[in-house]
Amino acid sequence: MSGLSGAARGAIWTLLALAAFFATDSLLFRSGWYDAYLEPDSSAGSLESELHWLKVTPKARVPEVLVVGDSRVAEGFPAALADSTVERRLHFWNFGVAGTTPRVWYYALRAADPTRRRFAAIVIAMDNYSDADSFGLSEDRISDENYLVMRLGLGDCIDFASSINSMTLRHRALFGCLFRGVLLRNDVQAFLAHPEKRIPHAADWWKNGLAYISGYGGKPESLRALTVDWRNRAIRFPAGVDDAIRDQVKRFVLPESVPNTGALARYRQRWLGGILDLYKNSPTRLIFLQLPRAPLVDPEARPVTRPTTGFIDSAARRPRTEVLPGGTFMDLERPEYFADGLHLNRDGRPIFTVRLAQRVDSILGFQAGKSGAAR
Amino acid sequence: MLFTSLDFAVFLVVVLALFYLLPKPARKYLLLAASLYFYMAWIPRYVAILLLLITIDYLAALWIESREGARRHAALVVSLCANLGMLGWFKYANFLRETWLGLVSPGAHFEPLAIILPLGISFHTFQSMSYVIDVSRKKQPAIRSYVDYALFVSFFPQLVAGPIVRAEEFFADYFHWRPPTAEEWQRGCATILTGYIKKLVCADQFSLVADHYFANPSALPGIIPAWTGAIAFGLQIFFDFSGYTDIAIGVALLLGFHFPENFRRPYLSASVTEFWRRWHMTLSSWLRDYVYISLGGNRKGAWRTRANLILTMLLGGLWHGASWNFVIWGGYHGVLLSIERLVWGREKRTGLMRIPLAVLTFLLVTIGWVFFRAKTLTAAVYVIGQMFAGQGAGRSLLTPWQWRLAILTLLIALAEEYWQWLTRLAQSSVWVRTAAAVIALLVIELFTATDQSIPFVYFQF
Repeated sequence: MSGLSGAARGAIWTLLALAAFFATDSLLFRSGWYDAYLEPDSSAGSLESELHWLKVTPKARVPEVLVVGDSRVAEGFPAALADSTVERRLHFWNFGVAGTTPRVWYYALRAADPTRRRFAAIVIAMDNYSDADSFGLSEDRISDENYLVMRLGLGDCIDFASSINSMTLRHRALFGCLFRGVLLRNDVQAFLAHPEKRIPHAADWWKNGLAYISGYGGKPESLRALTVDWRNRAIRFPAGVDDAIRDQVKRFVLPESVPNTGALARYRQRWLGGILDLYKNSPTRLIFLQLPRAPLVDPEARPVTRPTTGFIDSAARRPRTEVLPGGTFMDLERPEYFADGLHLNRDGRPIFTVRLAQRVDSILGFQAGKSGAAR
Repeated sequence: MLFTSLDFAVFLVVVLALFYLLPKPARKYLLLAASLYFYMAWIPRYVAILLLLITIDYLAALWIESREGARRHAALVVSLCANLGMLGWFKYANFLRETWLGLVSPGAHFEPLAIILPLGISFHTFQSMSYVIDVSRKKQPAIRSYVDYALFVSFFPQLVAGPIVRAEEFFADYFHWRPPTAEEWQRGCATILTGYIKKLVCADQFSLVADHYFANPSALPGIIPAWTGAIAFGLQIFFDFSGYTDIAIGVALLLGFHFPENFRRPYLSASVTEFWRRWHMTLSSWLRDYVYISLGGNRKGAWRTRANLILTMLLGGLWHGASWNFVIWGGYHGVLLSIERLVWGREKRTGLMRIPLAVLTFLLVTIGWVFFRAKTLTAAVYVIGQMFAGQGAGRSLLTPWQWRLAILTLLIALAEEYWQWLTRLAQSSVWVRTAAAVIALLVIELFTATDQSIPFVYFQF
């Protein structure tokens, strides 16, 4: 068994073929060419279109404020209403993308604001100030990568993959980061199945999507008449609520208690703390808020008090960082303001938006006599 | 360790690197250690069964070679009993107990023994038996080195699901080993990529339909759902099993071993006889050489030939799994082979006549797959009933994309059958081959059917 020339040459060919494959994958998915054809309703498409609009829209003449969050922000914060509330002294951006998490926000903000100087303030909407673990912990959410597929550079791959606990998922994340086509497989297949529909649909969305979103009036549904027997953990639903909504309401109104391992605290320190670090030397103010948590909240089980330890407390001590009091939006935790277990409806969103806009306006010092963060 | 897992990719790269970096005398130890590690990645303790059988067969072959007469046969019997006994216990104990219970006390509750089938036992026992039988027939010299023999049985590319490699073939490469040429290496890589495309893009795609249908056939009544469900399984099992063996053949080639072909476009066959010359060829030839010929083959008259065919196929069916469904599947093919021999003899089918005959053969084979795939005999009978007298027509379970995939693979198979398209591609310039490899990788990247890891079908055998 001697003489390696054939095998050695074969191995070199294999490496070259793999390099050629990587180059082809990069040409397709790292050059920006495919971005324009992403399905707008996909995870990557929804984040990329937000970033696109931020990039192509000329910078406003007034200070800009970016409101970051998940679907609760996307649904519950009409930026145009916020602008008019502060008489256009500020220009608000709704940067809420359904299904996103602090890990996604970190990479998304890095892309949205490369100089860290574009925005006067960045508002980060948290579901809860408490660091106690809850269901749906985000550490192993491999789907985060679906949002970030176009944003993770080669230098991010190790960092991103190592933030996932499960070894199997970590490998998948690393592989997906290196070869973007793996993550875009479903998107590409759907595109190839109906290119004649995708191309105009994507082009229209990238061009007019922001206007479509601005014209959105919110969900008309209401959970008015929803009641909870806290002692017996029983929910009474109004008529006409379907099973999916009932399940969702149950999860948020009567959350299952899970053992506290400190995982959420570590996760927040890493990703929300990462955002704080991104803006360490920036003039941008960072503002944290606690969203209305659910249509009804057990006041004994989940009191509105800001923790004196944990991430939010450490964040409040950082310069140019404000933490709105936990009770700022507590009066919105009522069934008539919610369309489902999570999202504000057409009646709740203007109240939330106006109040948030006023608070930001006040923090940024544009409203005389109301400056400074309420703690 | 699945061939489709990242673990296997890392394992293979490490083994290949060490294999070519280590000095020649150390390489067989590396391959043996790697093979045992590969086997132990599943249930480590079962390696003891593998090593026990290797030891028995190794000693039996040495004994057989050194003696004549009855004592020679005694060692052969011991070896066969050990292999068949182990296979019988792990694979057929519950089946035999259940059948016996059904005979002596019909309707009684059957409590199966908690037996986990050792991975690849059907394959390595057949490989071992062929070696000992060949030594007893004086067609193969006994292997003197335990390590050499252990590597033959446990060699990781073929250990779990074949192809069933004969000692003669393996040791021809082993004792006259030469490194693969650059062209052979590229052919090995191309074969591996073909295997991955077959498995991840095609087999897993059709498994989505087949698994859905056969999970509960009565939920999808009708003629078309039954046929499309069965066709989906026929396509799944072909792409799954031939994909596995392609990967095995390619990996072996990278290590300088030339495994025999196991599938040659079986669904282009114009008869069931031809189908078995193209489907799982190493098992077919094994059954021919060690069962059919041992039973007398075609040397004892027409009726005995037909009986031998049916018996061989019944055993072949039972080899696949311990249930009456597999027995019926094997018997069904045995009967079809006998009828063909009765009607057509050895007449070859050529020209345009092949087209309707190939369609007929495909449909006959598809009917057989129902017994192979259905969970129970009752379910199989229900599906067959739906295929021929279903409750209405129903709708196709295959999506337009899956139909297109099936037609595309048929066109590729025809292009290879009549114009050797892929063979010519393999002989083209290095740039064309590189471009083909890149396209193959992109196809795997972008058209893998599911993110879920679906085990190879033949792992259960």
